[in-house]
Amino acid sequence: MRSQKLLVILLVLSLLVVLAGGCGQSKPKSYKIGLFSPTTGFAAADGTSALHGAELAVQYINDHGGINGVKVELVHYDDAAKPDQAVNVAHKLIEQDKVIAAVSGSYSGATRAASAVFQDAGVPMVAAYAVHPEITKTGDKIWRVGTLAVVEGKVGGALAVDKLGAKKIALLTIDNDFGTSLANAFKEYVTAKGAEIVFEEKYPLGEKEFRPILNRIKEANPDVVYASGYYNEAANIVRQAKEVGLNAQIIGQEGYDSPKFLELAGDAAEGVIITTDLNRDSDREITQWFIKTYKEKYNLDADMVGASTFDAVMVLAYAIEKGGTKADGIVKALGELKDFEKAATGPFYKFTPGREVMRPLGAQVVKGGAFHFFAEFDDPALITPPW
Amino acid sequence: MSLWNILLDTLTQGSIYFLIAVGLTMVYGILKILHIAHAAVYTIGAGVGLAVFKLTGSFWLALIAAMLVSGLVGVIIYRGVYFYMLDQPRIVPLITSVGLFLLIEDLLQKPYLMGPYQHAFPAQEVFPSITLPWGTIPNAQVMILTLTGVALVALYLIFTRTRLGLAWQAAAQDREMAGSVGINLNRAIALNFLLGSALAGAAGVLVGVFYNSVYATMGDVPSYKAFVVIVLGGMGSVTGTLAASFLLAFAETVLLASVGYVLPRDAIAFLVLIFVLMFRPQGLLGR
Repeated sequence: MRSQKLLVILLVLSLLVVLAGGCGQSKPKSYKIGLFSPTTGFAAADGTSALHGAELAVQYINDHGGINGVKVELVHYDDAAKPDQAVNVAHKLIEQDKVIAAVSGSYSGATRAASAVFQDAGVPMVAAYAVHPEITKTGDKIWRVGTLAVVEGKVGGALAVDKLGAKKIALLTIDNDFGTSLANAFKEYVTAKGAEIVFEEKYPLGEKEFRPILNRIKEANPDVVYASGYYNEAANIVRQAKEVGLNAQIIGQEGYDSPKFLELAGDAAEGVIITTDLNRDSDREITQWFIKTYKEKYNLDADMVGASTFDAVMVLAYAIEKGGTKADGIVKALGELKDFEKAATGPFYKFTPGREVMRPLGAQVVKGGAFHFFAEFDDPALITPPW
Repeated sequence: MSLWNILLDTLTQGSIYFLIAVGLTMVYGILKILHIAHAAVYTIGAGVGLAVFKLTGSFWLALIAAMLVSGLVGVIIYRGVYFYMLDQPRIVPLITSVGLFLLIEDLLQKPYLMGPYQHAFPAQEVFPSITLPWGTIPNAQVMILTLTGVALVALYLIFTRTRLGLAWQAAAQDREMAGSVGINLNRAIALNFLLGSALAGAAGVLVGVFYNSVYATMGDVPSYKAFVVIVLGGMGSVTGTLAASFLLAFAETVLLASVGYVLPRDAIAFLVLIFVLMFRPQGLLGR
């Protein structure tokens, strides 16, 4: 009797072992991709757009059969755009949720802090729209799909002098890394082309009252004002420029790229031209799907931040499909990526050795209260990232 | 930049500072409480104003509703919170006030209230722009200047011509003594909060229209900047607050219009504060 009992126990145990082993062989239930973005605090608007963009990417991937038949699951935490909170969130994503890879839908400070954690843990991370140069220099696991400010500034310069024929240019620059890199690259390009900088000034983030500065710009009488900033500063700049009677063409950049810019600036936004990577009039299938579905699902117009975060998830899904779920495979697949078409702001031609994306950049003009196609810049001399 | 532009920008910016800070000054004058949550009342005013404007399309209804709701919120904050702390050390209501500010702001940021986004408040057209021989005053600035003027006159009359104003002055000098000579302190203080908070609500609407944007964290800067104004003016002095508002606005505008952003706007404000306190520790018009 005793030995029979023992035999039964042994049999049951071996059955369990076989079952457990079998489970290990089968496909996982889902692939987890982590996302951190600020859904509270001063940056909540961008963080929410980023979350929307990532959700749409997951929806798109899962509606198209997942990654090799496995569904993608998004794990999102709020980092409030704070570096310390981003570090905590990165640890949580890596250790608790065990994500395969992660996307930063946050600002540069938080993204830089978190990227060091992901690099140390060997978990690939793609920054969606944080533009600080140091982010991708953290290490070989850290990639970016946003356009570098140095590239965008140069394209802004090409827009001003080559497309619009500006001779006298005023620079109004937001005083942070983003604004400074934009202004330097812009200035270098336009002065080499013989244009004159007739006014230059920096202003602090969050400024609302530009009238004193705009009055001075008006006196300098430029053809073009290259004004960097985010949508709330930008809206005040273009509104107040109209109020003080400054009629020069205003050129902005992707910081303006938000339906909220159009709402807050109202009629004053008409005619403003921005450089951005989201082309509303694109006939590419993925871009149209993104813009249409975003509007349907969230009852808001899509913006650059949402589109970039969408693309970050899409490019990661592609890399997991090609290279498997191990970090080395993902990194290798990203490095070998060619002419990636499944990006709303694409196509992505390739990643550079510095893990920056190379892709065409567009200019959009505000007409009838909406962004429309103005120009596209495809010249490798302009759009190639410097590293 | 012309003298006219400097004058116009100083007057508008100063008016905005005054409208936000005057309620704080009134509360400090009578209760000696630093009422940080006042900045949240200001945001609530802007939010209510925008909601009513969207519903009715009327700027004036929006302004009245914003003032009513903000005034009530102010009274609720007093009766529900500060009332129980009047005999506590000053640090207690101060810390409570900071907590209250953060709580209200976080609540306002919930998607079912104001959400994370900025919202346009397109009511600028309600006012005409005025062309004078030496320049034009755009409509949004006409709005700020006239309504601040109205508020100033009303405040002056209430403070000097009514029993309530006298009661406030008495309570500011000595609360216990004022109570013992038959002034209904609870009523006087509640009305003080009502008026001060209603003005903050009005400021929220005006600033919202002026910059065409209303959002949950719009109280962040006023929450500390208003204190520069009231300390500079001499804690508790309404005329001092007025003087300080325009002095700050003038310093900021002149500096920005002549040399630009050598310093952030707020740094200019704090430098002016330090400079004035070196020579007048009691503030411009403090006693």
